Amino acid sequence: MQIVIASGKGGVGKSTVTASLLYLLKDEYRLIAVDADAEAPNLGLLLGVTEWEEEREHVGAKIARINTETCIRCGICQMRCPYECIYVDDEGNYVVNELTCEGCNVCGLVCPVPGTITLEQVRSGVIRKATTKYGFPIISAQLDVGRPESGKLVTEEKEWAKQIMKEQNLEHMIVDSAAGIGCQVIASVGGADVAILIAEPTPASLSDVQRVYKVVQHFHEPAYLIINKADINPGFTGLKEWAEQEGIPILGEIPYDSAIPKSMSMLRPFIEAFPESKASQAIREIAEVIKQEIIK
Amino acid sequence: MQIAISGGKGGTGKSTVAINVAVELAKRFKLILADLDVEAPNDHLLLGVELQNEEEVNQFMPKFDYSKCIKCRKCAEVCEEHAIITLKDGTPFLMPTLCSGCRACEIVCPVPGAIQEGSRLIGHTYVTPTPYGFTLVTGKLREGEERSMPLVVAAKKRLKNLDYELLIVDTAAGTGNTVSKAIEGSQLLIAVTEPTPLGIHDTELILQLGKLMGIETWVVINRADLGDVNEVYRRAEKYKAKVIAEIPYSENIVKTYVSGTPIVTTDYPEAEIFREIAERIYEFLRG
Ligand code: SF4
Ligand code: SF4
Ligand code: SF4
Ligand code: SF4
Repeated sequence: MQIVIASGKGGVGKSTVTASLLYLLKDEYRLIAVDADAEAPNLGLLLGVTEWEEEREHVGAKIARINTETCIRCGICQMRCPYECIYVDDEGNYVVNELTCEGCNVCGLVCPVPGTITLEQVRSGVIRKATTKYGFPIISAQLDVGRPESGKLVTEEKEWAKQIMKEQNLEHMIVDSAAGIGCQVIASVGGADVAILIAEPTPASLSDVQRVYKVVQHFHEPAYLIINKADINPGFTGLKEWAEQEGIPILGEIPYDSAIPKSMSMLRPFIEAFPESKASQAIREIAEVIKQEIIK
Repeated sequence: MQIAISGGKGGTGKSTVAINVAVELAKRFKLILADLDVEAPNDHLLLGVELQNEEEVNQFMPKFDYSKCIKCRKCAEVCEEHAIITLKDGTPFLMPTLCSGCRACEIVCPVPGAIQEGSRLIGHTYVTPTPYGFTLVTGKLREGEERSMPLVVAAKKRLKNLDYELLIVDTAAGTGNTVSKAIEGSQLLIAVTEPTPLGIHDTELILQLGKLMGIETWVVINRADLGDVNEVYRRAEKYKAKVIAEIPYSENIVKTYVSGTPIVTTDYPEAEIFREIAERIYEFLRG
């Protein structure tokens, strides 16, 4: 099956918890991990991956370029670009800002001088594969700086993962999604069998997890909630109340542990670095519930 | 004048820095804070205000008039998003969630009126007065929508009609083109990071972006006592970025964060660090 882990908000511990869950599930199941946070991929680091076995370039993005030799400086392209990505440089040339262009080609269609604006394929990022020291493979994507947000990159990642699952006869794909609710998240959530949401008891995290839950609902996937840093904001009941109202089962609560950043520096899953801590205890219990309730 | 606050990775404390610096600098400038993290806008929650003056952001979407359409497939061929599919006989159909509203299809359609003006709600923008003497502008993408770029552009358009001396932009996480769109026009970029390998890795990307955009970049290290700050200094130096502050992990910061009270309005000792960051920015802007 395919399990997606999402939070809406960054920094609530999604990848930290995911790495520990992978560690706890690896002995019983044949897994593959997919880091779908292409703008800030971290899962590989958390699993101690330092070298990648295979790297594939992704040339999905398109960027417009203006030939200043033939351009008659009429300014039509600038007027019509829906995302205001064309500017005039110090010499009066019309130039496409390659760090913001969406590659829609509207400028190319409206330019009166044929061939002056061309849409060029550029690299949008890379997708990498490694085998973790825990035995299971991981696929991870990295978007290049300034490229259009790419759900396509995530879709391709998942395709590759599916292929490896077939080749190696693996059972479950665990997808660590990006923050937010945009195309990367939609590509992560789409096609999953189950969504595990991670939130902390703060108004900001509640607001963001509510938003990502709407995306999950859109795909009619069952959802579960893990409350991380459960004790940082005593008295805040909003998160649990919301889960109850929506009928989202809570898999468990993980207390805040200041050793977590230390485990990140050690590049090891928290559960492995500090197996005796309270947070690890909680994660172990959650893994048990996942085995019984979700991966049946 | 415009400055941007970003972080590479999510959850580094970017919004905490943004709102506190805004509260301080509002004493000196007519100020607007723009929350352009349109997928997860939280600045209003950190400021303890409710979003106001909602405006819809509607995006163009082709509506086919099949009585006029000659089934030439041009619209489908030109659509870079592959949002238009055609039946065997060439009849075009739209898959609305893929459409980015760029109008390329409308531009190439040879038959006047075959593509009509349709529209779809993709999110909202808000202009919210705060009790701290500045205005908060927020963009919020609708759930289920894929593209945040049009919303960032819409929020920036709404900003153009407002009057301010200083604009502080709070961006989304990451370094994709919506983040560069949010940062565009800034004189200063402040990257908020954590001294963990993950934080450092993602900060390197935002420093790269700052360099590509030719914007002076500073680094603020949050939760500085939870890792090795030396590595952050080394990376910053590589990109000629100054590290201007170290914020320790503090329960007081967490407390004010969750209660929607900017820490600079309290007597907690940590407030001083944020005031100093604001002071540094003030000096920079005065030149
Ligand atoms: S391709 Fe589209 S986004 Fe890029 S410059 Fe041309 S019109 Fe603007
Ligand atoms: S529309 Fe074409 S000719 Fe006119 S300014 Fe743009 S690139 Fe130059
Ligand atoms: S507006 Fe742009 S994205 Fe939408 S259908 Fe037309 S060409 Fe495709
Ligand atoms: S371009 Fe116009 S006429 Fe041709 S298929 Fe599309 S809508 Fe119909």
